[in-house]
Amino acid sequence: MPRPPRPTPPPDLFGEDRPDRFLTGLQRFTSLYVPLTGRKRYRPRPPEGGRPAELTVARREYVAPDVVALRLVAPDGGTLPRWQPGAHLDLGLPSGRRRTYSLCGDPADRYGYRVAVRLIPGGGGGSAEVHRELTEGSRVPVAGPRNAFPFARERRVLLVAGGIGITPLLPMAHEAERRGLDWTLVHTGRTRASLPFADETATLARRHPGRVVVLTDEEDGRPDAAALLARAPRGAAVYCCGPAPLLDALRRAFPAGPATALHFERFTAPPVVDGKPFTLRLRDGRELPVPADRSALDVLRAADPATAYSCRQGFCGVCRVRVLSGTVDHRDRRLTEAERAAGDMLVCVSRADDGACLELDH
Amino acid sequence: MRKSDEHDDLVLTPRDVRFDWENLPLHWIPREPLATHVVNVLHLLLPEGERWFVRVFLQTMPLITDEELRARVLGFTGQEAVHAEAHQGVLDHLAAKGVPIDPYVTQVAYLFHHVLGDIPGQSPRRERQYLIERVAIIAGIEHFTAFLGDWILNAPALDRAGADPVMLDLLRWHGAEEVEHRAVAYDLLRHLDRGYVRRIRTMVIATTTLARLWIRGVRYLAAVDPERRPGSRARWRDVARAARRGLLPDPVKLVVSVLRYLSPGYHPTQEGSTEQAVAYLGTSPAARAAAH
Repeated sequence: MPRPPRPTPPPDLFGEDRPDRFLTGLQRFTSLYVPLTGRKRYRPRPPEGGRPAELTVARREYVAPDVVALRLVAPDGGTLPRWQPGAHLDLGLPSGRRRTYSLCGDPADRYGYRVAVRLIPGGGGGSAEVHRELTEGSRVPVAGPRNAFPFARERRVLLVAGGIGITPLLPMAHEAERRGLDWTLVHTGRTRASLPFADETATLARRHPGRVVVLTDEEDGRPDAAALLARAPRGAAVYCCGPAPLLDALRRAFPAGPATALHFERFTAPPVVDGKPFTLRLRDGRELPVPADRSALDVLRAADPATAYSCRQGFCGVCRVRVLSGTVDHRDRRLTEAERAAGDMLVCVSRADDGACLELDH
Repeated sequence: MRKSDEHDDLVLTPRDVRFDWENLPLHWIPREPLATHVVNVLHLLLPEGERWFVRVFLQTMPLITDEELRARVLGFTGQEAVHAEAHQGVLDHLAAKGVPIDPYVTQVAYLFHHVLGDIPGQSPRRERQYLIERVAIIAGIEHFTAFLGDWILNAPALDRAGADPVMLDLLRWHGAEEVEHRAVAYDLLRHLDRGYVRRIRTMVIATTTLARLWIRGVRYLAAVDPERRPGSRARWRDVARAARRGLLPDPVKLVVSVLRYLSPGYHPTQEGSTEQAVAYLGTSPAARAAAH
């Protein structure tokens, strides 16, 4: 098939009145070269195995009145993929919900993972389901482990945990000790009785005097971020995991403190705020309803796993889709006015009015 | 062979960084215009180049049969998309300062849109092979970006020379993310084609083209520098001198690193340190401010 001619290369870089020779040469090269590469036959790769898709609940115990810890093992009792402190596992719950939990056991234990789940009354229902449905012997579909909170093993570290946020930091504390780092673990919470893994932190405190600090609202008052950070040695790295207010307070107070690095788990998909249900119509004629509490991207991904996206917060622009008709409620921070006028939309955050229909070139 | 405590299961996420170029001097490595130009070629190449990476990688989505790899490829595209815009910010600043960047940038855009762009009207088989060929070229380029990322994270000479701290943060944030995601393009290539020949021939193409682009870029920037001393021009011996002082990467190490890519047992996780990249991202003012 004849190929449409490519446009003439731009002019010479240094002002000569002719098309640029370097680009002309490259152009000629690729027009000879590309057809040669196209002769090879492509064989699709079968999906790779190797990671167990399901684990079995081998043990279940309460580590605080409302926190259950699960030990998960391979159904055949074999070894599991390695992980490092900060890693998490995705659990697929019987209702179809997916929830992500930090691994809080020992990375050297190649036969079991441990996760701990706090019951959140009135939450999305995932924690209640774990507490209610996952009993010893249950099979759970999993994905991972993957790590969104890697531990860089700086020489001096301060680990700050709020409540159930202790889960990724416990393996970090053990790792820090094993590596001979200068470490401190601070565990904050409402009451002493509510703190999960109190016996394990107590053991750590006994073995390593001065390294573990427990602060509770009832005994010590609400934690003050500046005072927490002041516990860090100069030049230390702070790792924080806990409720959003604690994290925000630490981030605000951080520049005035003695530490130089701050690490926390990055969550990528903030909940939909003030969303209304609307509809997407695809090129192939399918109509997909978008509920008030889900993003257009989630709905598109459910329909087609190869849908492109990345940041899920409206700044990277990877999920850009062309809208053929309908009015978009733009909520991104990336597109220019001209791009919006041309019909571009970032489906990860942008939406439409109640009941409206967006016709997508997708 | 992989280093045993290297993180190879990192979740890759773009960071919403912002940089303020208001106070950036034209020669942001003081009294080192040539070293500044050599690094500034990055700003000329990367916006169009990384947007091309994103366009090419998104086309591979339907070919990927491994969900873990798909997640990493998507994280990679988000990081590359943000890199492109961050370097575009520097480019806009250079233009505002009176550097006529358009002739060079027009050429770069032509390269990535036409010479290496999609070719309409090909058979599906050729289209797919051309796509994989471009993934292989990107895997080769990513070896260089990981090398440069590792270098910039270990270049204290730039701090000693008084280089602009905001520019250093941009380069090191970018370098750290390049180190973080250094295996993605290579693993995607291995997923689509395990062949050795393609890996090698595309590396030869990537190396020679990048070298030409860089040399032309430095010559061009030196020629149009508004603060240039009369009669000065870009000379190899000045580049060598800057490299000896640690202001530019060591050319010998660069050559040795390219040779490692040619080794059959190569894997990108053998290069650079994820741990060091993660540690830098914890200290980077831009990355720390960027969290959601």
